[in-house]
Amino acid sequence: MKKKVLVTGMNMITALGLDLEASWENMKAGKNGVKRITLFDPEGLQTQVAAQIPDEFGEYAAGFIRKRTTGQMTRVTQMAYVCATDAVRQAAIDFEQMDRSKCAVILGVVSTANTSAEQGTTLKNTVLKSMNNAMSAWISLEYKLLGPNFTVASACASSAYAMGIAYDMISSGAADLVITGGADSIINREEIEGFNELYALSVNPDPEKASRPFSRDRDGFVIGEGAGMMILESEESARRRHAKIYAELAGYAITSEAYNIMAPMKDGEGIRHTISEALKNAGVKPEEVDYINAHGTSTTLNDMYETMAIKKVFGERAYQVPVSSTKSMIGHTVGAAGVIEAIVTVMSILHDTITPTIHLDDPDPELDLDYVPNQARKHVINCAISNSFAFGGHNATLVFKKYA
Amino acid sequence: MTEITDTIRNEVKDIVYQFFAEQCEVDINEINDNTTIISDLEGDSLMFLELIEIFKKKYDLDIELKTVGKYVLKHPVDTIGQLIGTQLLMIRHGNKILELD
Repeated sequence: MKKKVLVTGMNMITALGLDLEASWENMKAGKNGVKRITLFDPEGLQTQVAAQIPDEFGEYAAGFIRKRTTGQMTRVTQMAYVCATDAVRQAAIDFEQMDRSKCAVILGVVSTANTSAEQGTTLKNTVLKSMNNAMSAWISLEYKLLGPNFTVASACASSAYAMGIAYDMISSGAADLVITGGADSIINREEIEGFNELYALSVNPDPEKASRPFSRDRDGFVIGEGAGMMILESEESARRRHAKIYAELAGYAITSEAYNIMAPMKDGEGIRHTISEALKNAGVKPEEVDYINAHGTSTTLNDMYETMAIKKVFGERAYQVPVSSTKSMIGHTVGAAGVIEAIVTVMSILHDTITPTIHLDDPDPELDLDYVPNQARKHVINCAISNSFAFGGHNATLVFKKYA
Repeated sequence: MTEITDTIRNEVKDIVYQFFAEQCEVDINEINDNTTIISDLEGDSLMFLELIEIFKKKYDLDIELKTVGKYVLKHPVDTIGQLIGTQLLMIRHGNKILELD
């Protein structure tokens, strides 16, 4: 029999805050985290805005990481480490009281971002900084966890994939607790140039308007950065240690479109398939879903196909289900997007509050769902889904339920 | 072969203590020869390599890393005192450290 998988800890570092509380409050207020890039001089680039995490991060991280270790980590690995250790602290987990061989770390990581934007990079720690498994390794080391410790990479769906695998490990009994999530930043000259070559990024110079999912004049996604960590735990383990329970991860689906290295499958068919499979796996009927945290990138195709897919899955009821895009506020955090948006979904369930899609003043007439424009909304949410889709056709949908 | 004088012995000890105090962010007075590098100081294996580089430069040592590796396999370095002892042997014997066995 499958074990119930619960969310017993969460934390995020985003352009809107260095922890869960700050990020959530600013998201509820519909704040914009996008600004002109300051990590390096973006002059000459087509895209010069991004959603950088607050400048105070370095100082903040010093409270969590020893100076020597800091030098062995990229800035993004530091984000992952700080985010995870703060999540564990807040979840009051005492690993001395747990079977460490059944505690795992599974992260979704595209790269550690050992790029030209790194400050003070030297050759000395190149390997430690670049190795893709560094984030999960450091977290596992911190708590001496002896269960599986690895990284999955599926571009913008990476951390959603990681959460799905974590779900399987717990529901099957292979693990009692998994620290899962991811961190990412592609705010560097070479990757911005690369994405510009693909016409994927917004070139709107106005940071107050650049990320505008579902809008008529959307012109691509805005790069974000950050980290998100979720602690998933079996119900038995959570009850044993009297853990605070935020929600239940009821199921998920990860699929491949096998269609195109970049473009989503026509008419949102791959997305439809993913959402349908996730609901089926979770034992949830479409009419039970109260909120959709969209992938909502602000690209022409994603927003159109995601909307089409939602209509196919939910039928006429699609118009009654609120859909919002976190990326309108914090940009696209790439490998971290899946988990950050999953955390927002869980917070929405917990507080019966939907964060808005900001910059949505002039909706695309072809996109006619309720995208929760510009202002947060109180709404009873017993069940919600979070979508993540990636270049390469990696799709993921996670299904969360209020824990009763 | 370099003769180990009290001056060298004290220099090595000072360098090692200061290195670990700084890198591990601990008070130098909390470190003694019995302090374990991994358990007590949460140090890492790279620190040993960094110290070798420091001493190679300071004393113009002719010693290859693989030689040190072979020696340490037979004579594990767990504590600060053991590390200082190994560094002194390296300074004294260089690449001939393996012949001590």
